[in-house]
Amino acid sequence: MQLDLRKGSRARILAILTLVIMAVFIVRLFYLQVIRHDYYVGQANSEQLKQLVIPAKRGEIYAMDDGSPVPLVLNQAVYTVFADPKIVDEPGKMADLIRRVAGGNARSNIDDLLAKKDSRYQILATKVTRRQAELMKKESLKGLGFQEESQRVYPEGKLAAQILGFVNTEGKGQYGLEDAMNAQLTGKDGLLQSVTDVSNVPLTIGNKNINIPPENGENVVMTVDRNVQAYTEKALAKGLKDSGATNGSALVMDPQTGKVLAMANLPTYNPGEYNKVQNAAAFNNETISAPYEPGSDIKTITMTTGVDKGVVAPGSTYNNTDYITVDDATITNATKGQTGNITLQHALNYSLNTGFVTVAERLGDGSHINWQARTTMYDYFHNKLRLGQLTGIELANEQPGTIISPNDAQGNAVRYSNMAFGQGLDVTMLQVGAAFSAVINGGTYHTPSIVAGSMDDEGEVFTPAGAKPSYAGVVKASTSDTMRTMIHDARSAFYAGKDKPGYYIGGKTGTSQTIENGHYVDNQTVGTYLGFGGNANTNQGPKYVIMVQVSGKNMNLQGGRDAMPIFTDVSNWLLSYMKLQPKG
Amino acid sequence: MSYARSTQFNSRRTGSWGRNQNTTRYASAVKLGPVTHTVLVALMITVLGLIYLTQATRATSYDYEAQKIDSKIADLNNQKTDLQVENARLTALENVQNSSVARNMTEPSQTDYVGE
Repeated sequence: MQLDLRKGSRARILAILTLVIMAVFIVRLFYLQVIRHDYYVGQANSEQLKQLVIPAKRGEIYAMDDGSPVPLVLNQAVYTVFADPKIVDEPGKMADLIRRVAGGNARSNIDDLLAKKDSRYQILATKVTRRQAELMKKESLKGLGFQEESQRVYPEGKLAAQILGFVNTEGKGQYGLEDAMNAQLTGKDGLLQSVTDVSNVPLTIGNKNINIPPENGENVVMTVDRNVQAYTEKALAKGLKDSGATNGSALVMDPQTGKVLAMANLPTYNPGEYNKVQNAAAFNNETISAPYEPGSDIKTITMTTGVDKGVVAPGSTYNNTDYITVDDATITNATKGQTGNITLQHALNYSLNTGFVTVAERLGDGSHINWQARTTMYDYFHNKLRLGQLTGIELANEQPGTIISPNDAQGNAVRYSNMAFGQGLDVTMLQVGAAFSAVINGGTYHTPSIVAGSMDDEGEVFTPAGAKPSYAGVVKASTSDTMRTMIHDARSAFYAGKDKPGYYIGGKTGTSQTIENGHYVDNQTVGTYLGFGGNANTNQGPKYVIMVQVSGKNMNLQGGRDAMPIFTDVSNWLLSYMKLQPKG
Repeated sequence: MSYARSTQFNSRRTGSWGRNQNTTRYASAVKLGPVTHTVLVALMITVLGLIYLTQATRATSYDYEAQKIDSKIADLNNQKTDLQVENARLTALENVQNSSVARNMTEPSQTDYVGE
């Protein structure tokens, strides 16, 4: 068919017009779809393609309970309730509902918040539980919204607060295990990239969809035993009440493995309400974060050094005059009157400073704490028994303390004479507990640990952690035998009747002066007690080591009077809890 | 003596039909013009398009179902977590110690040990 369009006819004009319009459309479409293709695809993607972060679940924290993991820190979904005042049509009903359901979690000025009609977002309640949120959702009130978030919950309340730490509002662990193992506990967020509809429902259409599932944080199981921790905290609280001390710490560990069974600190706090704490000192775990001069407990370490080097024995004698001179310093005994030719066992029983300065002298030439004596002491204190060094325990804010080297200008004879009875050095309770464990367990130093392993994602299967390094032979087994007996005898000399019969318990008091503004003060002493317990005098006999420390501003607290009863309380309870059978 | 064929044989190939050949030949009386062909092709394309759209819509409807199931899973997980928390609270030491069972417990007057 051939149209015969005459030149200038209307049909011809219409045909040309149509062709022109079509050409315009084609050109325009070519411009939009080909030339501007990338731009419009980008625009469409920005509208339709959504990236949603799938939050990883923070790992939970478990303690042991007679060998089985029990949760101490869990996660729970809570909701922030908000409203869009501009579209709320029943503000009175909404306010009543939230006050009735959310209770104390509701904002006090809900009516005022809902009256702000120029605002599109007002928070009406926070930390509302899922059940409360469901009750509110049932009412289907216009303009009411819910935002889900996860929060840490602590079923045991304040238990082990300083060990656990807390998680701040940014989701970062602070203090304790939460801080030290933040990376493992946090996990890795997932990503969902997808074309969505207007309600943000992900659709499978499109070829740019990404779905990376989150990697949940590791569920950590601690070596801490829930029952031992609870009893230790209770005994510590009672001990502080009895003595009047304001601060106290207690450490319980297994001397055969280095595992921490309990770390108690007072004053304490509730990790779920960390924002209400007035004094941030309550967050600190004093057993690892507060190096101090432990006092006479360290005499056990000095004696160990002397026995291991073969220069002294429990029956070795010296002439006690209640004072001894080292260079220009005169050192006196706190307990006076035990003068004359006495044994070192006697000196340990009465905690006589002169006896252990004598041991230090015998590590040298017999009458001076010379270079040889100081390097030997440093080798045992610092290198072998690892005092004044970080233990590497899986907790935040561990402090190394200080053992002055004999190479240091301050590492002189006077310094080392003081170190012989537990002053002039700064160490943490954990360092002392671990060193003492090596002294009484046959001579193996076990690196302290607080992580026993991990639980699977469902919280059902426990996988033990690898063992931390142990160093056998830091002191001879025979030295360990001697020291166990000496420490047992030292306790038996004054406190034998305090222990359950049939068990082998040993311990040493410590009362140390404190330093204020660079000087020792007389009106403030720290009381310490360090001991072990078990049912046999063998290397495997000791089943626990307990160290207790009590202190208070301007208070003269003593190891024997104020810290020892706490040790006895926990020790006698542990004998039953561990089901140890008495012997003899 | 002479012989004569009693039967006449014919080659199949020489016949007008064979075993595998139709005996009837059909010829359509309907003649489709170019316009009809175009319309039919357009209709087929339309039907195919509709089938595609139906399938695409059905896939999207699965997305909504999947979303509902995901929401339900999340909700059930939250319920499970709530129950775990509740369980942990109920078995917390303080609750156990304050229970009537624990309060009625007494210290044993004597303990006998089985020999090791």
